[in-house]
Amino acid sequence: MYKSAIRSLLSATALLAIGVASPAIAGEYDGVTIDAKLIGGQQYEALYGRIAEWEAATGATVNIISKKNHFELDKEFKSDIAAGTTNWCVGSNHSSFAPQYPTLYTDLSAYVDADEIAGFVPAMIASSTIGGRLVMLPRAQFDVSVLYYQKSLFEDEANKTAFAAEYGYDLVPPLTLDQFRDQAIFFADPPNFYGTQYAGKDEGASGRFYEMVVANGGQMFNDDWTPAFNSDAGKEALQWFLDLYEAGAVPPGTTSYLWDELGAGFASGTIAINLDWPGWSGYFNDPESSKAAGNVGITVQPMGSAGIHTGWSGFHGFSVTENCANKDAAASLVSFLTSEASQIAESSGGSLPTRTAVWDVVVANAEGDEYRTMALNAFQEGATYAFAVPQTEYWIEASNLIFPEIQAAILGDKTVDEALQAASDAVDEMMRENGVY
Amino acid sequence: MALDLNFQHRVKARLISIAHTVTLFIAMSIICIPGLWIVLNSFRPTVDIMAKPPVWIPRDLNLDNYYAMFGGAGEGGVPVLQYFTNSLIISVTSTLIALLIGMAGGYAFARYRFKGKNAIFIGLLLTRAVPGVALSLPLFIVMAKTGLIDTHIGLIMVYVAMNVPFTIWLIDGFFRQIPPDLAEAAEIDGCTRWQAFWKVEFPVAKAGVASAGIFAFLTSWNEYALASQLTRSTFSKTMPVGLRDFTSEFTINWGGMCALAVLMIIPALVLTFLVQKHLIAGLTFGGVKG
Amino acid sequence: MRRKKIPTWFVLIFPALVILAAVVLVPLLFSLYSSFTPYKLTRPDTLFKWIGTFNYQKAINSAVFWAAFGRTVLLLTIALNLEMLLGLGLALLVSRVTRGQRALRTLMMFPMMFSPILVGFQFKFIFNDNVGLVNNALQSLGLTNEAIPWLVDKNLAMFSIIFAEMWSSTSVFAILILAGLFAIPQDPLEAAKVDGCTPWQTFRHITLPFLMPFIYIALAIRSLDVARAYDIVQIMTNGGPARRTELLWTLIGRTGYVDAKMGYANAMGYISIVMAIFFTIFFFRKLNAARSELGMAG
Repeated sequence: MYKSAIRSLLSATALLAIGVASPAIAGEYDGVTIDAKLIGGQQYEALYGRIAEWEAATGATVNIISKKNHFELDKEFKSDIAAGTTNWCVGSNHSSFAPQYPTLYTDLSAYVDADEIAGFVPAMIASSTIGGRLVMLPRAQFDVSVLYYQKSLFEDEANKTAFAAEYGYDLVPPLTLDQFRDQAIFFADPPNFYGTQYAGKDEGASGRFYEMVVANGGQMFNDDWTPAFNSDAGKEALQWFLDLYEAGAVPPGTTSYLWDELGAGFASGTIAINLDWPGWSGYFNDPESSKAAGNVGITVQPMGSAGIHTGWSGFHGFSVTENCANKDAAASLVSFLTSEASQIAESSGGSLPTRTAVWDVVVANAEGDEYRTMALNAFQEGATYAFAVPQTEYWIEASNLIFPEIQAAILGDKTVDEALQAASDAVDEMMRENGVY
Repeated sequence: MALDLNFQHRVKARLISIAHTVTLFIAMSIICIPGLWIVLNSFRPTVDIMAKPPVWIPRDLNLDNYYAMFGGAGEGGVPVLQYFTNSLIISVTSTLIALLIGMAGGYAFARYRFKGKNAIFIGLLLTRAVPGVALSLPLFIVMAKTGLIDTHIGLIMVYVAMNVPFTIWLIDGFFRQIPPDLAEAAEIDGCTRWQAFWKVEFPVAKAGVASAGIFAFLTSWNEYALASQLTRSTFSKTMPVGLRDFTSEFTINWGGMCALAVLMIIPALVLTFLVQKHLIAGLTFGGVKG
Repeated sequence: MRRKKIPTWFVLIFPALVILAAVVLVPLLFSLYSSFTPYKLTRPDTLFKWIGTFNYQKAINSAVFWAAFGRTVLLLTIALNLEMLLGLGLALLVSRVTRGQRALRTLMMFPMMFSPILVGFQFKFIFNDNVGLVNNALQSLGLTNEAIPWLVDKNLAMFSIIFAEMWSSTSVFAILILAGLFAIPQDPLEAAKVDGCTPWQTFRHITLPFLMPFIYIALAIRSLDVARAYDIVQIMTNGGPARRTELLWTLIGRTGYVDAKMGYANAMGYISIVMAIFFTIFFFRKLNAARSELGMAG
């Protein structure tokens, strides 16, 4: 009884302190406990080591009540919403998942200074703003796929001559999706060596398809959210996957691959060109983990037929729940974890920042490291073409209807036209059922 | 002539024995190789595991994956000891409770006649047919509301419920094979029903209890789907859920996962080996009757 | 007058009933109710909107659902029968061994130590077409120079899943049947020997009938559990590609949690429970028949 009275007194004091100050003041949140659900995994953990600093500065305690990967967290968040147990405070979020939780998270712009928000890359803030509410602040975990390739293949004189003779243009890392396809087919020597590979299942397949539709000048949805991908741009995108598969330029199991198989594939040295995430750059060039080490080239991702680059991107961030008892303290923690200092620390592990100023620091730090500089140049240019998933609550649900049809077309169960028609019909029905239109 | 026949017999017996050994060897290889592959991978760097052309003769075997696993957070470390303790507490407790409840239930079904017996029995079994997805959300809601989420007790309750029907059925089967007159004879000799059960029927049904125990333990030790839903922090995460610590959005640390897997397998293997001899108690029963 | 006592049998099964009611029955009633609503996890208020049998009609009219249903039945039938036969064979093989049997029995149970989630990852890598163990072995031995797409091909994908499932579960049959073999009374066997029965006749007419209850126990338990091979399938193929390995459980899991459409997922779940009930009752009947043959019926 006594104890809880003290505690409520303390939190009342903390609440009083809110209006007074914005930067962390020593003891500002004395006695406050922030329950957090954070993404776990090696590359994400280093940042959490900094939480102690925030605790010391503010007097609050952070209690990490859940640590899982994003798919498991997503399940837990949905279960929490269903159970009404959403009074924990800080949650890891991801741009691809965020639109699904329309009621869970609070608008951070009420708790964070506009100056601070201005320090982030504007496109990230735009993608973090859903329905006019800033639902998360991005951390230094930004992803947009760039092109990895084995350098020696492009330097080989015999390759150069043979390629120019067959295709009529010089062999350099592909600038367009058409060149990408030509070269992948040219390099392929199954079953020992493949031209390329692609994510063939789950949101990976839908996401790749999505970015190619955009690159070919199309879009996934019309403004009223009716499906728009059953178009020439969509057919061209799907045909691209199908051509590579039929030519034997990709491993025959590619429709069962997701990111871990793709990474392992390129690292095994049996893939020539690979469209993949920035997070792999260190892994691919590390002799401990990769046979391609020392031979990895990185360049910006190719353009589609409309002259637009692919650029399906995602990033991680932190959000504060609507039902958090102490949103000021929670928002202060989120600000701290996404601050310049935190982003500099986190991006030193190889991930990409989401703050303009930190980009400069990262690039400066890489000076003298030829590989890292090449990588960062590609990432930096790649980032300018980045776009997030369609901002609808139903993107994941739509993705689950689209990817089996993409697979059906690639494997020859359906023609490209049939598959897109079926996917489009299914998404249309789903949207109607959900009352979108 | 007689000698010849004898010789033929011996040749035939020898051939059968060789065929038996060879078949057994092949069967055991199929059983063991995929498992041993995991053990081997836990000692190898990823570049060798996923190699092409393949590396058949293991080279560069080391304990790096184990060192990393026990290392600090951010350097590949996972709270292995905590997971191990959680798994042990949860599995052992739930197995013991399930065995007690199951023995009581199994005995009731094997020895008593009552109305609706078959219906109740089938009803119990059908609880196992319920798809996990139909249970996991309501369980989550109930446990989140009662504060049982992310606790040992919550998971223990779930595993007891998962294992009880199976335990009842298995033990019921073993009790049924013991002629009721054995216990009745003991009762005539002045034992109470309780004493008769422990002195006569229980030792004979030990094999059943032992195998039910192994099954219950292994089910709880290895269960993933519900554990991943009902645990969330190191306070209660079990080892199968801990395996997921080696996967992240884009990557999987297969060598590290194998190292944790080895730590999961060893205790289960040792326990199974120790409990093995109780299965032989079933043989004694054959002797009793004969 | 004596007070009416609570019957002993009821006292004995009471704890079992309580725990199952708490952990299974109550959640089940909730799921049943929600299957009549458009319940979406991310919109909790949808739980209070009654839509009658809409979800059930949707499932019954869905080709995707019935394809998954059929595939699940197929998987059940093939996997269970093969596991039973192989388990029986394995038990007989092991029972003949006289020396080191305890170690051998432990080895036989080796796959049971592997969590289904681990089995999923394990076989996903073993069957990987590019750098997987199986293709590497076949190519090194010169048996093929193609990369066989184990997890993609129409038939091979189901085969791979069934193989993984059998690898992890045949031991369950083997150990139960082995326990049964140990419990066989010796005198009928000896009598048969004296009467000059061939080993096959002895097996067919004495050993097998005695083993049948054990086999049916194992079959029934496994027929319920094989449906829980969800972890394995989810990791190996997640129902893909192009729904070639879509089972009820991957379909329901994805609909319920990823799409968050719990109401619809539960409706599909209830339809598939009917299937599980059918299998259970079927094996239970068989079990009772086998028992009455042995004079052990309750």
